[in-house]
Amino acid sequence: MRRQGGAPQGLLTALAAVLLTVIVAAPFLFIALQAIFPKIGAGSLAAPFSAMADVLSAGRLPRATLNTLIMGVGTVIVSALIAVPLAAIRALYRLPGAALWDVIFLVPFMIPPYIATLSWVMTGQPRGYLEQLTGQNIAGLLFSVPGIVIILALHCFPVVYFALSRSFAAIGGRFADVSRVFGAGPLRAFLRVTLPLALPGLAASLILVFAMAIEEYGTPAVLGTRIGFRVLVTGIDEAIGDWPVDLPGASTLALVLVAMATAAYLAQRRLLARGGFETTGSRPLQADRRPLGRATLPALLLFGAVALVSTGIPLLAVLATALAKTISGGLAPENLGLQNFTAVLATSTTARSALLTSLGLGLVAALLTGLLGAFAAFVVLRTRARGRFYVDLLAALPNAAPGVVVALGMILLWNQPWWPITPYNTLSILVLAYVLLLLPQPVRYTTAALQQIAPSLDAAARVSGASELTMARRILLPLIGPHLLVAMLLVFVVAARELVASLLILPVGHQTIATFIWRQFDQGSVGLGMAMAFVTICLTTLLPLVVLIAARRTEDIG
Amino acid sequence: MDLTPQPPLSTAVVDTPAALEMAGLSLRLGGTPILRDIDLKLAPGRVLALLGPSGSGKTTLLRLVAGLLVPDAGTIHLAGKLVAAAGHALPPEARGLGMVFQDYALWPHMNVAGNVGFPLEMRRMPAPERAKRVARALDRVGLAAFAERRPSELSGGQQQRVAIARAIVAEPALVLFDEPLSNLDRELRETMVGEIAGLVEELGLTALYVTHDHSEAFSLAHEVAVMEAGQIAQIAAPEDLVADPASVSIARFLRLGALLPVQRGAQGWYLRGGAFLAPPEAAPEKTDTVLLPSRALSVTEPRAGMLTATVTRTLFRGDGHWATLALDGGHDIQLLLPHRPAPGAVLGLQISHGSLRWFPSSPSKRTSP
Repeated sequence: MRRQGGAPQGLLTALAAVLLTVIVAAPFLFIALQAIFPKIGAGSLAAPFSAMADVLSAGRLPRATLNTLIMGVGTVIVSALIAVPLAAIRALYRLPGAALWDVIFLVPFMIPPYIATLSWVMTGQPRGYLEQLTGQNIAGLLFSVPGIVIILALHCFPVVYFALSRSFAAIGGRFADVSRVFGAGPLRAFLRVTLPLALPGLAASLILVFAMAIEEYGTPAVLGTRIGFRVLVTGIDEAIGDWPVDLPGASTLALVLVAMATAAYLAQRRLLARGGFETTGSRPLQADRRPLGRATLPALLLFGAVALVSTGIPLLAVLATALAKTISGGLAPENLGLQNFTAVLATSTTARSALLTSLGLGLVAALLTGLLGAFAAFVVLRTRARGRFYVDLLAALPNAAPGVVVALGMILLWNQPWWPITPYNTLSILVLAYVLLLLPQPVRYTTAALQQIAPSLDAAARVSGASELTMARRILLPLIGPHLLVAMLLVFVVAARELVASLLILPVGHQTIATFIWRQFDQGSVGLGMAMAFVTICLTTLLPLVVLIAARRTEDIG
Repeated sequence: MDLTPQPPLSTAVVDTPAALEMAGLSLRLGGTPILRDIDLKLAPGRVLALLGPSGSGKTTLLRLVAGLLVPDAGTIHLAGKLVAAAGHALPPEARGLGMVFQDYALWPHMNVAGNVGFPLEMRRMPAPERAKRVARALDRVGLAAFAERRPSELSGGQQQRVAIARAIVAEPALVLFDEPLSNLDRELRETMVGEIAGLVEELGLTALYVTHDHSEAFSLAHEVAVMEAGQIAQIAAPEDLVADPASVSIARFLRLGALLPVQRGAQGWYLRGGAFLAPPEAAPEKTDTVLLPSRALSVTEPRAGMLTATVTRTLFRGDGHWATLALDGGHDIQLLLPHRPAPGAVLGLQISHGSLRWFPSSPSKRTSP
């Protein structure tokens, strides 16, 4: 419908377009230019596409692409194997402690994979905790492609578990019971009705897992490098970080990675746009959950085993390392002490300043990303100016931006010698990177919230005498507020512990939480790093839980 | 109606300007014409209902008046002031209207008093005065005790009353109602029609009322504009509309009675393939459809030369028996009878000829079976 396309709307759209062009589009553009024109850094457009040919002929690109696919597909398969049975049991049967299991399975998703990987190294390496306890080590499995895949799957499976148990429950209540009335047994009802109806949602969550896996840096960097398993992300990292720096090569690998991530994002969006069947009714009936009977104990054992491997062991290993006076002292009561924690929290240590830097950066990034994301969503949904399609496109672009690519874009864009002033080599470059990386979160949350606000609520305010801006301030902002807050919290949590972009564009003289942990593991005190990791996990897992519960309460007004 | 734009400053003494006047109003959305050349005038203190099936453009017309849409052609004047012309429009907030929405459109983050007080707040009324006016408006709709509640705690009917209070609180010169009762169940709808009618009369409101329910329109409006495919098909007082619908489609939409095909025969007008109805002078030459309003028919014992009908089935409806009767020539009519007739019984039908309405063949005719 046509509404007043007056000056303020055009102005707002133009402002959003300019902001997103500088923050989002420009880094991607520079990556593409660098990949095509390898000498563009020297101001020359000579020898276009030659770098691509080099990368291809050296066999680096096909190998890294294939390895990335192996890692992504493998993670998808293992995640599905773990999550589908758990989700079916959780949704369709009366599982003791169901709500508790849900909370427990949130934790592995909240633990950054690099921390989980480091803790598994501590556990499984020769003379690691496992060997100290059982006499066996699993270094062979750990430092292998299956090892990488399993550790990533243990991080990613909650995505599938939560998506699927929700749709199983809804479908089980609405449709499967109907099929049972018409004569299908429980297994047939599951195979013929529940599972097929849940397939779009399952596929969408598996594609999300694929995207998470191929963008992951920490796990393949720790475990893969030692066995020569190079994926696109680690390939880009080496091309930027190792001498001689190969920016055209990095850009070419980045383009392939972005293409894969884009394909995954588009496929997922398409599946979700078709709509799950579980949302057909206005009021999904809760399934009458069936008793597990004699299967109760095996089911609990299964849930317990997954919880132990995905949550218990990594947390315990982090804690054991953090509490160890010396690593060589091993698991022994007399080797326990709090000195690593005191060091992290004590004044004027690198650890404490890294902690504060990250928390500050996370806060600023959350505020800016939230504002920009809400602004972009508003322009896309509630204005009629022509530029909003461009704004929509740019706001979605970061969905296909792995951290390593964002860092590369930041380097290529802001490290140009001709900038009179540049955020490069200051903390603000990290803020810019985090905003770009996490923009999709507030956009997604506020878009969903805005879509739920009936247009008549706007219209009622306008007819009552409110101008467009007054309406946005008095009606829309309070209504999307709780959702925006949740999105900003998510941005804060992820930004505060982001690893790969921070490693690559960290300004001299600064550390963040993630880079501190990473460097301590490489060449410093592992115990200090793990103490930092433990503090981080607590901060970034408990804080969101508390705020989410509080936010759920305020959402009652909706 | 005078379609030329009025000069803004006329030396002649003019009467009070119309509360609402539209001339030549047209709108296309995505190339499809939604409204075509609408002319309407509404005097202060009067209620006009826009009645039509869904898709007839009545809500779009209301949104044009509210300023939520901009016309492609034509003008809208509110109280003599030009508020919209082709491609230009005063924004909604500058029009000083009240509006009641189909989905209530109460802001969920404000309590009832906050919702109702919002229009006053926008008019920068000081808080004490505002509180008084809000209390009075809530009192009028019988919700004085609910000021501190959240809209989500109220029932549908209560929510709609809050929406009505919000629409009238600033005493706007024109109140727009956009199918305000269509989300309520029938019983509540009937109560609310009475309440709205009471408010309209008490406050002397000028209102434009959009609905697809003709009994609602007839109860509330001084005049009813029937809309069809983006045009006003007929505009008349409710009684005149019922007594004298302008076309077959209006008679069908208002469900005024059976619409049957007729043909000219030896003695005059006959149902097609069936019984004699009226002498030749009853209807003009090109007539092909007759409206048999239910109130024009009375059931008697069949006598020779009389229109007779066979009962094919009946449904008990509480207030009587809804009977389907077959006439000669394969025509069906429906009538409400006080007693249950035996299936297959033959009844005599007495027709009050003055109540029959005759319609010429028209390109838009879709004769009912």
